[in-house]
Amino acid sequence: MPMAIEDLRQELTGLLGDRGLLTEWTQRRTYESDGLTGYRIVPALVALPEDVQQVVGVVRACARHGVPLVPRGAGTGLSGGALPHADGVLIALSRMRRIVEVDAANQRITVEPGVTNAQVSRAVAEHDLYYAPDPSSQVVCSIGGNVAENSGGAHCLKYGFTTHHVLACEVVLPDGEVVELGGPTLDAPGYDLRGVFVGSEGTLGIVTKVSLRLLRRPDAVRTLVADFPSPSAAGDAVSANIAAGIVPAAVEMMDNLAIQACEADAHAGFTLDAGAALIVELDGPAAECDAAFADVTRLCNENGATSIRIAGDASDRDLIWKGRKAAFAAMGRLSPDYFVQDGVIPRTRLGECLARIDEMAVEAGLRVANVFHAGDGNLHPLVLYTAADPEQAERAETLSRQIAELCVSFGGSLSGEHGIGADKACSMPTMFTADDLAVMDRVRAAFDPHGRCNPDKVFPTPRLCGERPGPYRPHPLESAGVIERM
Amino acid sequence: MTSTRSASPVAAAAVHRPGDLAAARDAVLAAREADANILVHGAGTKLGWGGRPAPGRNWHVVDTRGLNRLVRHDAGDMTASVQAGMPLRELQAQLAHAGQELAADPSRRARGATVGGVYAAGDGGPRRHHHGGVRDLVIGTTAVLADGTVARSGGDVIKNVAGYDLGKLWSGSLGTLGLVVEMTVRLHPLAEAARAVRVPAAADVATAIVLDLLASPAEPVAVEWSGGAGGGALLVGVEGRAAAVDAQVASVAAVARRHAATVEPVDGEPDVWDAWREAHAGEPGATVARAATRPGDLAAAADALDVAADGTSVGTTLHSHAGLGLHDAVLRGGDAAEHAAVAAAWRERIRAIGGSVVLRDRPAGVDEHVDPWGDPGSGRLLELMRSVKSALDPERRFAPGRFVGGI
Ligand SMILES: Cc1cc2nc3c(=O)[nH]c(=O)nc-3n(C[C@H](O)[C@H](O)[C@H](O)COP(=O)(O)OP(=O)(O)OC[C@H]3O[C@@H](n4cnc5c(N)ncnc54)[C@H](O)[C@@H]3O)c2cc1C
Repeated sequence: MPMAIEDLRQELTGLLGDRGLLTEWTQRRTYESDGLTGYRIVPALVALPEDVQQVVGVVRACARHGVPLVPRGAGTGLSGGALPHADGVLIALSRMRRIVEVDAANQRITVEPGVTNAQVSRAVAEHDLYYAPDPSSQVVCSIGGNVAENSGGAHCLKYGFTTHHVLACEVVLPDGEVVELGGPTLDAPGYDLRGVFVGSEGTLGIVTKVSLRLLRRPDAVRTLVADFPSPSAAGDAVSANIAAGIVPAAVEMMDNLAIQACEADAHAGFTLDAGAALIVELDGPAAECDAAFADVTRLCNENGATSIRIAGDASDRDLIWKGRKAAFAAMGRLSPDYFVQDGVIPRTRLGECLARIDEMAVEAGLRVANVFHAGDGNLHPLVLYTAADPEQAERAETLSRQIAELCVSFGGSLSGEHGIGADKACSMPTMFTADDLAVMDRVRAAFDPHGRCNPDKVFPTPRLCGERPGPYRPHPLESAGVIERM
Repeated sequence: MTSTRSASPVAAAAVHRPGDLAAARDAVLAAREADANILVHGAGTKLGWGGRPAPGRNWHVVDTRGLNRLVRHDAGDMTASVQAGMPLRELQAQLAHAGQELAADPSRRARGATVGGVYAAGDGGPRRHHHGGVRDLVIGTTAVLADGTVARSGGDVIKNVAGYDLGKLWSGSLGTLGLVVEMTVRLHPLAEAARAVRVPAAADVATAIVLDLLASPAEPVAVEWSGGAGGGALLVGVEGRAAAVDAQVASVAAVARRHAATVEPVDGEPDVWDAWREAHAGEPGATVARAATRPGDLAAAADALDVAADGTSVGTTLHSHAGLGLHDAVLRGGDAAEHAAVAAAWRERIRAIGGSVVLRDRPAGVDEHVDPWGDPGSGRLLELMRSVKSALDPERRFAPGRFVGGI
């Protein structure tokens, strides 16, 4: 054990007690990866603070000893954001799970970061309120992780992402000082550092308390599943709906492979031989909902739907969603292992992009299942492989990375909700210029001048990505002839 | 261009009017070369906001109104890239051809308020209640920093978590971090039909109605209150399908009636939203103080304003985005010292209920008595804001003195 870590161990044992500090290798190994299990590093120490004072103590001690720290929530992240540092402290916030305050009248709740996403909605259900962002992992993932990733979910098309629902974050900065970013009201005076913090993937500090905006449960909810001969036909139906001015609460698509896996797992009643299935959900005032729902049904039919199933009641709807949300878990039925990407493309280029992914899969000799948030073009291609075959695993990883970068070349993004983390840091130069990244890094240094908070994540470094800089990508304005490379 | 603007708060040694990104960068570099500070403005409708520019260097002014193009409108994807100096009104007119809009309705559009100016000022209007602020609608930003670095963040798709969301930093920064040249925004479909009702209600009853509306299944797009000690009224807007908006009006009315309030349809009055929206900006010579509270503190904010102005010769009206808890107090009459005293007293009371007050436009002399920003809270938070400022603008060229804490 390096000197600094040994000193730190002694100090932190005093602060956290035996229960709050894991030092044994077998215990620490439990934390070696997040949801991206291909990346594993056993952390030097694992701290399990129970309140903000303990977090401050751990962060200060790390700062004093020059030891890196990595925050972790529930470890469901899919981009290796909570991947530990071998010479660092993993700070797991899972024991900070108090609901601090519910202000039902003003539709706000304040929670500690270890509270799960689903617990928030449960805690306010008696007031007919709920928390809108709904990642499929919501039963397990933590609000701290949601804030760090700016997580989304099926219903973000209408209701927005985590960033639209966070009012305030209490943050322990990398020097151990505590600040409140944002506040109990909108528009706290000063720079919107709350807005910058959300989605910063644990690189700017540790969030120890979060105030969230809640919404009234919608008056009415209408859900249908429409089958189509192909994903591109389903994509046309989505475009037709959007063009008609409909803003659905959710539009999800599954291709045939995904349908088969989900159906086998959840028995949701999906049509096994459909080329693609769309789940469209509308919510809001009943009269609005019914009027729009009639249009959605018509537009799906006009765009070649082969069958339409309308959820008869809440339990039928729950079953449909259970089927959809089972997608990742269900992949185990198709393949022992998979990589999931979450690139985003402009929705109008869906058909084109899926066709290209198909070709790439054939070229790589691998199967790719697609299940995604079709309304906002957020793909979740699942590259199926067998880890026991290292050569295949490597091919799968390459294909997976190429798919994410393909999305960028279509004018989209590397990630719609899972984050960059350790996984996609080296692809960042395909989306941003060196200057863009350097400016983000300047902001990072304003929070964390010594680079100790979740290092080696989000931004490409030579250590991470090799000495060779990433492929050069012209600035969009440069391509337009507006600027020259500077 | 004929749009008016308030007198520039600085004496400009040079005025730049770039038409593209390269010229915008040249303008910033020219200011740097001349060791000058930089004041950015669009139509200039918010030059009176923020602190007064710090003395010291010469000033170069960057007028963004040459950056006036809609660069790209992807109707199918409901996104658009627009140069920062384009008047919002013109943008909306172009988007309307495709049945779309940028769902932002701040005041002063008629005076040419630009998209970038609205973004940099963090301004919003009544429909922010439903659509969020401009900061929530901007999905990508291209800006020039003081050293000439061109930095882009976000992207062209509405869902995107790659890299830091620096777009949030530009919003409300009042031109103190850099020059925003272009933004990509998320669009919304224009509603088929819109209705509004006015509900006469003093602040206390209005507060109860607002909270009940939030707790009801109605989905209003705007919930405004305007009034003073003598009473006031709510204005509630709904939008949707022609066949269904009446049902929405009925559910708003049902809530109001539970509080024994009367409901007056105002759909025959086309200018009603314009009038209510513009009222937030106050009239020349007035002081506008913006308070942020929880929505349930509307009555408390209104009472606090009455108490603060009591015994002075200052008259007050409160114009509130009531569903959001954002209230604009317009102070008129009396002298600058009195305006300052009323604002300071109001701020103290609003702070006591966990809110904040920031001054917007105000007459000369007010700043001698009261800081337009107030105390930004913990020292470490201000220090962090200063660190962010110096990370992006280490020589403090962009509008020094204009932001919180003298940043
Ligand atoms: C089956 C499955 C389905 C999923 N579906 C979705 C989906 O629909 N939408 C979606 O957006 N995501 C989805 N995810 C991804 C994941 O659940 C989210 O990213 C989630 O927000 C991570 O939360 P967590 O608590 O598990 O965080 P972790 O994985 O523990 O950490 C994630 C990141 O947050 C940082 N972090 C955690 N806590 C804190 C804190 N308190 N302060 C500062 N930084 C912190 C970590 O350093 C790391 O960078 C899914 C994952 C799985 C396994």
